[in-house]
Amino acid sequence: MRRDVVLVGLLWVLATLVGEYVVSTLDIYPPKAALEAEHIDQAIRTLLMLAVPVFNFVVVVMLYSIWRFRARDEAEVGEPIYTHRTFTVGWLVVTSALAAVLFYNPGYVGWKFLKSNPTADLEIQVTAAQWHWHITYPDYGVSLKSRPIGFARIEENPVLALPAGKRVKFEVTSDDVIHSFWIPALRMKVDAVPGVVTTMYVTITETGSYEEDAVFRVQCAELCGTGHPRMTMPVVILEPEEFEDWIKQQQMQEAMGGSMEGMEKQGDGH
Amino acid sequence: MLPVFRGLMWGVIGFLIGGGLTALIRGVLGLEPWVFGSVFLVGYLFGLAGWLLGVGVWDTWMREFLGLEPRPYQAEGWRRYFGFTTDHKVIGIQYGATFLGMFFLAGLLAMMMRIELMQPGRDIFNFAQYNRVMSLHGFLMVLVAVTAIPGMFGNYFVPLMIGAEDMAFPRMNALSFWIWPPAAILLLLSPFFGGWDSGWTGYPPLALTNDPGQMFYNLAFFTGGLSSVVGSINFLTTIITMRAPGMTWGRLPIFVWSIFMTSIMSLTATQFVGVAMLMTVLDRVANTAFFDPARGGYPLIYQHIFWFYSHPAVYVMMMPAWGIMLEVLAHFARKPLFAYKWAVAGFGGVTALSFAVWAHHMFTSGMPETLHVPFMATTESISVPTGLIFLSALGTLWQGKLRFKTPMLFALGGLFNFLIGGITGVFNSDLPADVHLHDTFWVVSHFHYTIVGGAIFGLFAGIYYWYPKMVGRMYSERLGRLHFWLMFIFFNLVFLPMAWLGLHGMNRRIGDYPPELGGVNAFVSISAFILGASFLIFLYNMVMAWARGPVAEANPWGARTLEWATSSPPPVHNFPAVPQVLSGPYDYGVPEAGVHAAVPVES
Ligand code: HEM
Ligand SMILES: [Cu+2]
Ligand SMILES: [Cu+2]
Repeated sequence: MRRDVVLVGLLWVLATLVGEYVVSTLDIYPPKAALEAEHIDQAIRTLLMLAVPVFNFVVVVMLYSIWRFRARDEAEVGEPIYTHRTFTVGWLVVTSALAAVLFYNPGYVGWKFLKSNPTADLEIQVTAAQWHWHITYPDYGVSLKSRPIGFARIEENPVLALPAGKRVKFEVTSDDVIHSFWIPALRMKVDAVPGVVTTMYVTITETGSYEEDAVFRVQCAELCGTGHPRMTMPVVILEPEEFEDWIKQQQMQEAMGGSMEGMEKQGDGH
Repeated sequence: MLPVFRGLMWGVIGFLIGGGLTALIRGVLGLEPWVFGSVFLVGYLFGLAGWLLGVGVWDTWMREFLGLEPRPYQAEGWRRYFGFTTDHKVIGIQYGATFLGMFFLAGLLAMMMRIELMQPGRDIFNFAQYNRVMSLHGFLMVLVAVTAIPGMFGNYFVPLMIGAEDMAFPRMNALSFWIWPPAAILLLLSPFFGGWDSGWTGYPPLALTNDPGQMFYNLAFFTGGLSSVVGSINFLTTIITMRAPGMTWGRLPIFVWSIFMTSIMSLTATQFVGVAMLMTVLDRVANTAFFDPARGGYPLIYQHIFWFYSHPAVYVMMMPAWGIMLEVLAHFARKPLFAYKWAVAGFGGVTALSFAVWAHHMFTSGMPETLHVPFMATTESISVPTGLIFLSALGTLWQGKLRFKTPMLFALGGLFNFLIGGITGVFNSDLPADVHLHDTFWVVSHFHYTIVGGAIFGLFAGIYYWYPKMVGRMYSERLGRLHFWLMFIFFNLVFLPMAWLGLHGMNRRIGDYPPELGGVNAFVSISAFILGASFLIFLYNMVMAWARGPVAEANPWGARTLEWATSSPPPVHNFPAVPQVLSGPYDYGVPEAGVHAAVPVES
């Protein structure tokens, strides 16, 4: 009995050391381009590190019991142990403490961070509708509209450009059903609810583009009907000067008139 | 005529009367008579009433109400299963057959979805079709997960395990089952009327503006909920009032406890989903505007009401499976269930907290920001009572004498899978992490780990455990193990990569995804086909055993609880006379405890 406890303890420590090493070094995270994304990835990593000892404890005890406590003949019965006061109370204390710890960090601390700074260098308005993204840069009089044409032809869609190093406020709403505005590279999403304006603040840190990785895209994340999977458009994150150039280019195109508009209306739905 | 046929006939007649009347009234009022919405709604309600009257309500309550002699359905052999039979064992099997049928059907739909998702791009479905297949799959599976264990094993074994002759309200029990066929018929017919594309969650405003097939979902959910409420009243009353002498609360088998707590949740939460469905239907057909922002409604209210039921519902799926797993672990470890009282307290804690966590489904919905932190706190605190289930399970294994029969394998596998399900759930409850993970394949991975990995593995543990009792024959242990290993391995190979997919930007409920995620999706699809195929082994094993398996003894596992103290299958009234319960159900290795119960032979 004593031997079993010691052995399980050793195995658990060993497995946990290995597990902690793996989850703290393993890079399972796709490219990211925002301060918020770093915090969110860090939250996931912290939760993995907290999960390792829990997971290992259960698995080690299970596997050890399976190996050590198998019945050799039909008549054998186990030890009549009804409960164990110290172990039970210890279990309750440890699980409650764990829940409290992970509530505080990454939970509470991380959330406070995401909500801490309601200021922005750039405002972008997003209106979702079945199955378009209508994006406007009110400070620059630029607007874009995506069409539901899917991944094979995604380069035909306009590109949502963002400036690196700037803090952006997205104001999101919907014209019809509920959609959700998600840019995986930023790790941030917020629902587009008709009749409500939701906001999302993101501090962009790095450049990147859809060609580099598909996480650089806007993706509708709330089921909104037939065109839902195709409610997507590429994202490009540019250095601030390049971003200014991009804006000028857009303004010129817009000034050139409605010829583009006509084309956009021909989206082929599904 | 078999009552099912009479029910069908009266149901169709009811539908025609209801629908016709509505059209007539609309015509008289100068409205367009044949609109799908209201005609179908009233037709369905009349049809439901007609069906219930025809299938048995007329013969029982109605005749009694009118002062006539009731004519309870009496039949022998296979006919028992097609009428308003009140024997809880027959009802258990009716539930089992119906919901396993639904399970396999929904499984086929899943295979079709995985064919579509095997490669990026559009393959066998267009997006409209994909959404409809996905919605039907999800909703059928939710109904199976909520209903299969309480319906099949709750009905069959709760009375047996507490030493009762039947359920407290046998006719209400029959009613709770016979409410289901109209819901099942609605869902089976829905593809022929265009189906619906808003998933099993049916969020408005999408659910207000999509095709009329949406109403099939709303009405089916409403109907199923009705059955849940009726059934849970019956379980609670049975467990409170019909325990055999000596069956104190402290001697109640843990599975019975799980059904008791589950029933508290179903009885008090289901009304909310019923209301959510009703309000959606009224918005569609009666010009109300609860959820329609264009006319002053507020769509998020639906999500609050929906999840107020549907979060407890996930524990309605899980808790009976925990009950089965703990039951099986104790019997196959030949050891008292460790920390029995704490396990019951765990059930109680989960039940109480399950009502206070719903908004964790809405962290990105734009709900007021005062709600986020409190709901994160309640959600994460639910891991403490949940942890008590693991405490009990691990303590039971420790120093036991484990017998690795098929039910035990499923219980252990289910425990392992649920561990991953619970851990991934903590990520969802973490506000920063969930902002990214919400509505992605991460969530798909999470809830399949809990529902399939936990609840469905528990269901199969129960099937392999109680099959000899219910059928009176034994299946092949070799095939049972083969099924377990295939199902366990390929389940994990299907659903673990999905967590990675979600992290890498694959959102849920989509018939297409970025091409670079193709490799992992192909791997998932192929694993899914093997997982699907493993059920063929199960079916073959069950059918062969039923036809010509060796006759099972009364107690093939050497378990202590009362269902094993009577013949396999049990006689109509379960026990020759009222059993006398003398000691705990799990007092293995305690010589002075003696038998769990004395069952007098013919009194
Ligand atoms: C410790 C246990 C659990 C925790 C902390 C937990 C937490 C969560 C959270 C926060 C979500 C929302 C995720 C999102 O959409 O972003 C979620 C989703 C879900 N969970 Fe769990 N959960 C737990 C156990 C369970 C169990 C036992 C079940 C079922 C038996 C379950 C079934 C589901 C389902 C079906 C969804 C997705 C619903 C949907 O959006 O369609 N969960 N869970
Ligand atoms: Cu969408
Ligand atoms: Cu929930």
